[in-house]
This record gives sequence, structure tokens and C-alpha cells, in this order.
Amino acid sequence: MILTTTECVPGREIRETIGLVRGSTVRAAHAGTDVQAWLKNLVGGEIEEYTKLLAEAREQALDRLEAEARARGADAVVGLHFSSCEIATGAAEFLVYGTAVKLAPRSS
Amino acid sequence: MSEREPTRDELLAMAYADGELAPEERARFEQRLRAEPELAREVSELRRLELLARHAAPPEPLDHEWERLARSSAQRGLWSAGWLFFGAGLLGLAAWGLTCLECAQVSWVPKVLVPLAILGALLLVGAAVRARARTLRYDPYRDVKR
Repeated sequence: MILTTTECVPGREIRETIGLVRGSTVRAAHAGTDVQAWLKNLVGGEIEEYTKLLAEAREQALDRLEAEARARGADAVVGLHFSSCEIATGAAEFLVYGTAVKLAPRSS
Repeated sequence: MSEREPTRDELLAMAYADGELAPEERARFEQRLRAEPELAREVSELRRLELLARHAAPPEPLDHEWERLARSSAQRGLWSAGWLFFGAGLLGLAAWGLTCLECAQVSWVPKVLVPLAILGALLLVGAAVRARARTLRYDPYRDVKR
């Protein structure tokens, strides 16, 4: 499955637009992680616990988008956008959306 | 490394995780996933490996220092002692509070309701921990680093 932030797939022709596909998730860190992150917040530097939390959410949201696109018979998702916000303290929401398309067969 | 040939179910799980099954075959496999926890776990493990491969980026200099710190007995000792004292202090405070309440000249209402609320809170935490523990092995994202 081709996932791209561009509006087209270079070298391939879009044969059919299937429509909007999206994947989202909200993930939380456990309380112990929150305490450690809060302590790191006091001294500065990367809070790797939250970096990991955001990365987990991003990958899960991407997988959900890909699963939806695949279920709808798409070959690619173009115009991919990522969006993130905080719903609750210590939790991360990640939304990925794009346009599922069918590509024309490669011309030899 | 194992020389064993993959079983038919393992091959199906690989094809499913890679999105290579035809729609009808995928629907049949998903029906089996709902009924067979072991198969679901196999798919989750394959997804976890695929996620790890997706992140085969070169480590950053900071990573080595984080790893060194994680291995350092001084750092581990500090965290362990901190958590131990903090937990023991919290438990002690709760026990002391309950004892004070028991000895206090107050009506039976708070004496019953406060321990009841604490017990309820502990049961809720227990339920959340149980749910997480049961679903953890099906969560392929737990090893994603960044």
C-alpha cells in the first residue's frame, strides 16, 4: 500500500478516487510514566516517555487508516495528513486522514 | 534459528498481517481471529515485528546514554528507592488515615463510607489493570520507540 502526503503518486495515474479514509487512536501512558515524565519536565530535555506515546499513537492510527483503505480496495492513499491533540493529561490522540485511490496498472 | 517449516496458520497469519489475503479469505480469517486468541496473538506478534522493522532507523547518540543510564545500578537504585519510599509512604498515610478515622469521635457514617470509597477506588484500579494486562499481549505498538 502506497501512503503519500502528495496529491498524486509520481509515475502512476489515479484511475479512481474511492474517498476519505482515516485512522485514529487515543493512547495513554500509565501513571508511573506520567510521574517520570513530570519529573523530567522539571529538569528539561526530551521526555522520551511521551515521545514513545506519540509514536505508538501515530503508528496505530496509520495502521488503521491502511486497514480501512485496504478494505475498500484502494492501492494507495494520497494527501495524507496527520493531526494530534491532547484529550486528557498524559494521553495522546492521533488522527491520520487521506484520500484512498485506485491506481492504473503500470504501463510497461 | 529454527529450521521448522511454517504451518498453514502461520502462513495465513503472515499473509493477513501483510494485507495479502483476498477479501473473502480475509473475512474468513478475521472470523477465526475472533474465536482463536492464540491466532490473534500470532498476528499481533507479526505486526509487532513489522513495526520494529519499519523503525530500523540508526540510533541517535542520546540513545546510547539512555541505555547506559538504564543499565547503571546507581540510576536504577535511585528510581527503585524513590518508588519504594513513595509507595510505602502512600500506603502508610492511608493506613494512618483509616486508623485516625476509626479512633475519631465521629458518627459511623464516615467510618463506613470512607473505607468503602477507598475499596471501590482500589477495585476500579484493579479492573483497569486487569483489562490492560489481558490486552497487552495483543498490543503490537508497545515496543514503538519514536
